[in-house]
Amino acid sequence: MLPQGHIEELRVAVGSDGLITGESQLQTYECDGLTNFRVMPGAVVLPRTSAEVQAVVRVCARHKIPFVSRGAGTGLSGGALPSAGGVVISLARMNRILEVNIADKYVVVEPGVINSHVTQRVAPQGYFYAPDPSSQSVCTIGGNVAENSGGAHCLKYGFTVTHTLALEVVLPNGEIVQLGSPTLDAPEYDLAGVFVGSEGTLGVTTKVTLRIVKRPEVVQTLLAAFDSPQAAGQTVSDIIAARMLPSALEIMDTLAIEAAEAAVHANYPMCGGLLLVELDGPGSEVDALMRQVLEICRNNGAQETRLAQSEAERMLVWKGRKAAFAAMGRISPNYIVQDGVIPRTALPRVLSEIDRMATAVGLRVANVFHAGDGNLHPLVLYDRSIDGQEEKALDLSYRILHLCVDSGGSITGEHGVGKEKQEALGYMFSEPDLDTMQLIRCAFDPANISNPDKVFPRTRLCGDKPGPYTPHPLETAGIAEIF
Amino acid sequence: MTTVAAITREECKTRLATIAGAERVARAGETVTVAASDAEQFSEILRFANSNGIAVTPCGSGTKQSWGNAVEAGIRLDLSRMNKLREHAWQDMTCTVEAGCTWATMQAELAHHGQMVALDPLWPERATVGGIVAANDGGSLRLKYGGLRDLIIGMSVVLADGTIAKTGGKVVKNVAGYDLHKLMTGSFGTLGVITEVNFRLHPLEANTQTWTAVAPEPMQFDRALRSLLDSQLTPSSVQLRLNARECTMDVRVAAPAECMDEHSAKLSKIFGAVELSPSDEIVWQTRQELHDTANAVVLKISTLPSDLCLLCSELQDWAAQKGVEIAVVAQANGLVTATLKTAPDAAIAIIDQLRERLRKVGGSVVALQVPGPLRNSLDVWGCESNALPLMKEIKRRFDPNRILNPGRFVGNI
Repeated sequence: MLPQGHIEELRVAVGSDGLITGESQLQTYECDGLTNFRVMPGAVVLPRTSAEVQAVVRVCARHKIPFVSRGAGTGLSGGALPSAGGVVISLARMNRILEVNIADKYVVVEPGVINSHVTQRVAPQGYFYAPDPSSQSVCTIGGNVAENSGGAHCLKYGFTVTHTLALEVVLPNGEIVQLGSPTLDAPEYDLAGVFVGSEGTLGVTTKVTLRIVKRPEVVQTLLAAFDSPQAAGQTVSDIIAARMLPSALEIMDTLAIEAAEAAVHANYPMCGGLLLVELDGPGSEVDALMRQVLEICRNNGAQETRLAQSEAERMLVWKGRKAAFAAMGRISPNYIVQDGVIPRTALPRVLSEIDRMATAVGLRVANVFHAGDGNLHPLVLYDRSIDGQEEKALDLSYRILHLCVDSGGSITGEHGVGKEKQEALGYMFSEPDLDTMQLIRCAFDPANISNPDKVFPRTRLCGDKPGPYTPHPLETAGIAEIF
Repeated sequence: MTTVAAITREECKTRLATIAGAERVARAGETVTVAASDAEQFSEILRFANSNGIAVTPCGSGTKQSWGNAVEAGIRLDLSRMNKLREHAWQDMTCTVEAGCTWATMQAELAHHGQMVALDPLWPERATVGGIVAANDGGSLRLKYGGLRDLIIGMSVVLADGTIAKTGGKVVKNVAGYDLHKLMTGSFGTLGVITEVNFRLHPLEANTQTWTAVAPEPMQFDRALRSLLDSQLTPSSVQLRLNARECTMDVRVAAPAECMDEHSAKLSKIFGAVELSPSDEIVWQTRQELHDTANAVVLKISTLPSDLCLLCSELQDWAAQKGVEIAVVAQANGLVTATLKTAPDAAIAIIDQLRERLRKVGGSVVALQVPGPLRNSLDVWGCESNALPLMKEIKRRFDPNRILNPGRFVGNI
């Protein structure tokens, strides 16, 4: 689909061994972790350096070829879905850790470095990289930056943006800029803060300076079994009200426990609502706070509480939790993962409402959530082979997102908007809000070639007139089309 | 900008009076101040200013109006009537507060439920939420809780063309859309007028203890500071204080009472031969005292934490060589406040020397407060970013007529 001349220019940029154009190989790149959307790219490039990324982006800019950068392709919202006939910039070969500075607690990495490799690298000095999405053993830092990935421990430690000090970025016009600095408060707009979570729409990051954190003296993980997720949810509220900030608070319902048990035998107690509480910090503080947590659990009717007795046991608890999405395959042929956020206090009401909505359409919804920060992951279970069930499941999953927005929350806590939730973004934000975001996009990417047709409910071209949307001259003239 | 405005100040005043009420509008010289009551009024005022090319300065209580390049504003937007804590969802640990609310008022209300915004900015009794956010101020608590970037979860802003926009939300975890609030934080009112801010909250530190150690020379703390930062203790605040006579290091820990003795023992071990004694919370006011120094140049220096003691030591030497009176508060996260009492030439020389020195670690020096004449003969920001053209393009998109604090920020944005 790409003209041969453009392909040759890309070959000059990255060399023949860095270019994929064969159809069977291109198929690997036609989707990310959201597999029900598939689009064939025109070419895939595998640059090894910032300069090669820059050369590729310049080719794209010259010919207005849409491009999307891609790490490991684990994203769950279609953020790395190619544009038809566009270029995929795979950063898999840019996987070096360039600098480790323990005294100042930062590392500099290339975007293709795998999340958990950062921790592995600094673990001997007693440090770790805090954001821990469930896919951390395969997902890359570049993808984490694009999505502002979270994980189970962001209640206490924050998200990717909390740990991003600086970025090297190839802008959509091919210029390379440094955003931020390893030192705090560089005199500039916080463009690194804006870039993180922009889902590949503002350029390609080629170097990331990440904060690392000292491993706490003690980590304790408690499992508490309740009759219902609502009771577990109340316990979460009481723990927070007692002025504690646990490093993680996770809830799983019966379906999720069943699936996790089937997949990794985590030895979870079978119950209606399983609460996982993790506390970390200086030993004496953790001991004192865990005593309080146990009392709160008992007051909320916990049938059983179980403190992990060894690091191996603790790891197994987390393995079950992190495998929960994939484990759904054990109990349902197909499923949709959602990622809504609600204020914590809305939890009991929203869970009951999701139950009611699922029952009304005859589907099952499993619930796994980061309860401390109100991030729900409802898993809508269905069977594609039954006529009409996929549509029903999709509809239910979108209505759950609307419910989250109506409850004062958000359509996405960590998976991003991508291709999947564009329309829902329009439900969450008004037109002036979206137009204001467009001002940023147009400043970075006036030609709209960096991961276009994502995030926003409809594509807007960058005319020169700022402010509320007016038709672009090209659109009025019938030369360009607004989708 | 003000000189090319086609309408007179009196006409401007009259127009603003029809929007906000005559009693809310006052003129002093070339500036008309208007105290509007809500975002809709500010929107209308900005539309008017935008279409007439009148420069606008947003203002809370004015504590930091002297920071950055001077702006001659035709209209001063007084946010002081938008001063309410709109919502405190204490079980969700979030709040929504209007930009003109003073920091102390907000914190006092949040404290009813044992909560706080975990930030200790300058002049909390007077400084407003909007001004603190626009200037990205923050104090020693940043070591433990992060800065405003980490505490703000949403915002309402009014743009130059009057558009009222919301960004983020009221939940702590949220990746929907661009984080416009990160762009607004620290942008010194050059991109929009902040009218409301949503914060994530933390529990109040119920039980805290501060310890202080004294040494003749900053490098004597180098080993202790490094091992403290490399330890598993999680102090809320750590700072070095430096004047001509001595150097002091303060550490504050928040922990349950029954754990404090253990922390104290660990700290003593880290400090080794340097004696550590319990001291008073008042030591954390020193940064503000430096900012209150009359007729001094006040610098915000940013360096790497491992460089702090050496930097302090060199500052002490340079000041002694040049006969400059210097005082410093250096936070363990690498942010340093320094006051210089000296003639302008010597101050400029020290700033140039510092910038040259900090270039290799990616550090920076901003001259926040500069006595009168020096302000115009000095690059107060010292921005060397290669992203400056991009920043200017963002400014152009947000404020094409350059009415919002024109020239105030880096690169005369």
